[in-house]
Amino acid sequence: MLRASAACEAAGIPTASLVCEGFVKQFAATSVGLGVPNIPHALMPGHPSAQSEEERRRNILETTVEQVISNLTRAPAAANAQAEPAARDIFFVGGFQAVNRHFYEHGLNDGLPIVPPTRLAVEAFLRFTDRDPDQVLGVILPDSRAATIWSIAVNGVMAGCRPEYMPILVALVEAMVDHEYGVEHSGNTGGGETLILLNGPIVKQLGFNYTQGALRDGFLPNTSVGRFWRLYLRNVAGFLLHQSDKATYGDTWRVVLAENEDVISRIGWEPASVESGFAAGDNTVTIARYLSGITLASVSGTEPAKMLPYLADALAKQASWKLTFTVGPHGGTLRPRLVLSPIIAETIAKAGWSKLDVKRFLFEHARIPAFEFERMLRDWTDRPTWNLAEEVQRERLPKLFHESDDPGRLVPVFWKPEDILIAVAGDPLRTNAYAFASNGAVGFPVGKRIELPREWDRLLGESAQA
Amino acid sequence: MSPVNDDGHYEVFWPRTARQTQLRPLAPRAHTLDGKTVAQLWNYMFYGAEVFSWLEQGLKARFPGVRFVSWNEFGSIHGTDERTVLAGLPQRFKELGVDAVISGMGS
Repeated sequence: MLRASAACEAAGIPTASLVCEGFVKQFAATSVGLGVPNIPHALMPGHPSAQSEEERRRNILETTVEQVISNLTRAPAAANAQAEPAARDIFFVGGFQAVNRHFYEHGLNDGLPIVPPTRLAVEAFLRFTDRDPDQVLGVILPDSRAATIWSIAVNGVMAGCRPEYMPILVALVEAMVDHEYGVEHSGNTGGGETLILLNGPIVKQLGFNYTQGALRDGFLPNTSVGRFWRLYLRNVAGFLLHQSDKATYGDTWRVVLAENEDVISRIGWEPASVESGFAAGDNTVTIARYLSGITLASVSGTEPAKMLPYLADALAKQASWKLTFTVGPHGGTLRPRLVLSPIIAETIAKAGWSKLDVKRFLFEHARIPAFEFERMLRDWTDRPTWNLAEEVQRERLPKLFHESDDPGRLVPVFWKPEDILIAVAGDPLRTNAYAFASNGAVGFPVGKRIELPREWDRLLGESAQA
Repeated sequence: MSPVNDDGHYEVFWPRTARQTQLRPLAPRAHTLDGKTVAQLWNYMFYGAEVFSWLEQGLKARFPGVRFVSWNEFGSIHGTDERTVLAGLPQRFKELGVDAVISGMGS
């Protein structure tokens, strides 16, 4: 909403922005990055979702109307720019404890100690990229700061990464600035957290864990690269709790999920990177935000048709209010991620099923009655009531969602089989799976190829000996 | 015996980068909304449809000559095509004779 208001002001049209009480700090923090720190807002007391219709009406008429008038008829106070250090300025000098205290007091770390980003440490990271340190990969909202190679190195050092992880960090920031991902939504109240999926020979080269405990901290590359992601969101994108990050609960950063390509290769499936448009064997990162996840214990059986209904059921149950990403302005953007343990994938493949066969089965079976679909949208979202028949008639939904007027007909949760993403990782000999619940368009999957420096092998060898 | 300082000595860089936006002037305000056309922009959240109807009621009571362009004219400002919608607003405002905007809901 604020981005829309800022666009209007830039076009010479005065605005009044309707801000719920709980969002006032986020509005103020975000307005700075948009270059309009003095943009006015009209307060809506409390939160409209927790008020009766009469309470909402009274609040609007008694409080908000007057502020809207003020916003639109009185010139806002002039704004002043805040001075900040330059990127190469020495920001602080001191011992380990003092550095960490200083960073924490300035909102520059996540609450854990950081590795001090000294010149020597930063330069070690820069050796692992052929890019110019001043190259700008993009400008990241809400703070509108430049995503530079230099800043990637600084935050990589802080996160505890090793210098050789630098090519992965660069690819991650390239994905972060990709508009399709929608990093600007990272402070929304759902508080979804990004999952980084890693593919390619680099998984083994750098010692990522891709087997048992694949989503647990404990392995340096998986953990530190995951931590880098959130530090970069904090320091360069500008997502800070109690300011621009409005996660109601939120999660700690997720460790990197590395796919088990040994198994993928053995069973003749394509690695997850192919879903993002890359060739098998490419080194890639794929990012997407997920709101939660379900562990599916004991996916038993030897026949896919008997094993997969369990997974389809989980996908359908995860839908809930997230159906707002199936219908409406974000329609068709749900992209759940299923992670199968190797033994499950091997069992399915042994029966002759491809990954696409699995997706088709899940698409056919992850369904809910139409009346239940419409009820969830009506009762569990704040959006206008949606009618599936009308949406199909207006060509805003595929015909599959209204093949008859029977309210008990089963309708899909996703638009097509390929919307369901699948990776293979985890304990090789345990029949468990994991289903990540998609955050739709606000953290849409984006993949990037990892660009290695020309001297990669030599540099890697030197780093191993250091 | 004095304690040994094993805390090290570090000269460290700032982990942020320069903001790429300059301060931008806000649009000039009119003294009254009478005779003005006010557009409604909505992200389809938090009961905006009814909120806008009450705002119309309250503003018309103060400025009988104010006119409104419904949020229906613009579609959601928070959909997958947000960038396209926002980029098209100046032209739409010209076509519709919009003088001011109320934008909602939330943040």
